[in-house]
Amino acid sequence: MCHQLTAQKVIARQGQVAFFSYTSVENIKAENNQVLSIMDLQTGEIAVSMLMNAFIFEKALMREHFNESYVESDIYPKATFEGMIMDFEARNPQEQTKIVKGNFSMHGVTKEIEVKAKIEHKDENYIISGTFDAVVKDYEIKIPPLLAGNIAKTVSVDFRFECLPYED
Amino acid sequence: MRIKEFSIVLLLLLGTQSAMAQKGLLDILEQEQQDRPQYTLATFKATRITFGHSIETRKKGILEVSMVNRFWNTPSLYSQSFGADKLNTRIALEYAITDRLSTGFGGSTWDGLFDGYLKYRLIRQRDDRDGAPISLTLFQNGSYYSEGLLASNIDGNFSSRLSGTTQLLIARKFSSDFSFQVAPTFVHKGFRFSGEDPLNILALGFGGRYKLGGHLSLVSEYYAVFNPVESFDTYGPFSLGVNWELGDIMLQFMLTNASHIVEDAYIAGTRYNFNFKNPNLNFGFNATYVIHFNRKLKGLEQNKP
Repeated sequence: MCHQLTAQKVIARQGQVAFFSYTSVENIKAENNQVLSIMDLQTGEIAVSMLMNAFIFEKALMREHFNESYVESDIYPKATFEGMIMDFEARNPQEQTKIVKGNFSMHGVTKEIEVKAKIEHKDENYIISGTFDAVVKDYEIKIPPLLAGNIAKTVSVDFRFECLPYED
Repeated sequence: MRIKEFSIVLLLLLGTQSAMAQKGLLDILEQEQQDRPQYTLATFKATRITFGHSIETRKKGILEVSMVNRFWNTPSLYSQSFGADKLNTRIALEYAITDRLSTGFGGSTWDGLFDGYLKYRLIRQRDDRDGAPISLTLFQNGSYYSEGLLASNIDGNFSSRLSGTTQLLIARKFSSDFSFQVAPTFVHKGFRFSGEDPLNILALGFGGRYKLGGHLSLVSEYYAVFNPVESFDTYGPFSLGVNWELGDIMLQFMLTNASHIVEDAYIAGTRYNFNFKNPNLNFGFNATYVIHFNRKLKGLEQNKP
């Protein structure tokens, strides 16, 4: 017998998204600890929103270059994801691995992506985490030829959202 | 009539109600986006626009090693110099003590000036509705004239070899492409060639940046000097150049009439106006290498799937 779900939606206000770009020249990593994510427990819908300028880099100057010269956060301040957790079982107390399908928008480009996510359920809280790869070229992010060796063609993105019940 | 109006209002209200109910998850996140201050990034890309300081300071723990050069030719038709007749180079170390306060020391070869400065970022422009629409940085430098003096009428003791420049650097990033700076400037000229020369000089600087691409921008600067020195003719320093940023290296190329690199010297002592003749035309080249001593995210590891 499953327990009663009181909240219909759960939200993460300090979700974490990190990305990693590894090349022989330079390793770049960045982390954003202020990612918002909301999940509708009844429909399995999920949305994520993050400010590009909230990414912290190893080197302070990289943050400036990232925003100013690559993702152009003046013009495209946010990256968002809107999608659905396939066959989501909100009441399943066990850890479940599901496919999340949806549209990821960054730098003015929207791509349909599929991500494998691990969902843990503790009391009323849900933790969603996973990893996916993003091809830099897909999002029309220009890299000057001189710096092409410093930035990976594909960056690996880690995410972890600890969602608490959301009151309307 | 009344009933009709009422029913329209009612319909409208109902309409908004149902629209509220259908509000997407992203709209909820839009509302949740915390009201964090959004400070404007990169009004200028470097701590200098061309020859003059910009409002920018580096983040805490950054050391900049910079080599600033000016090349120009003498008016003589024939010369056997390699490359250019004259060269002025300032080699400097500049360090950010905090995110707002930075300092630097340097020495110039041609005019024998040793200089140091303190720069404090007082007000930062914000992108969100609240907060300041402009950035304001306070700048103070001091320079020491180290060259030997041949003329006996010039006082050569230590204190009269010192000069200083105080600036209020005020800038606004108007769009992602365009930034503009105004710099009310006060120069105290300790080192003078004649007693008639003013001890204190007022100037107003203007500087702009236009972004040509992700890594390249067009920059220009001009200083209007209100009470120039009397003992020789001076002109306002002008420059037109490009800034090119490559990861940890910042390259600045410019055409200018300012051969001096230290503030008090180029603002009060630029002897030739800007044109393409010799020795008026200087080619300027600044190379700055940025070293980060304060690295973040040391513990951040990638998830292993």
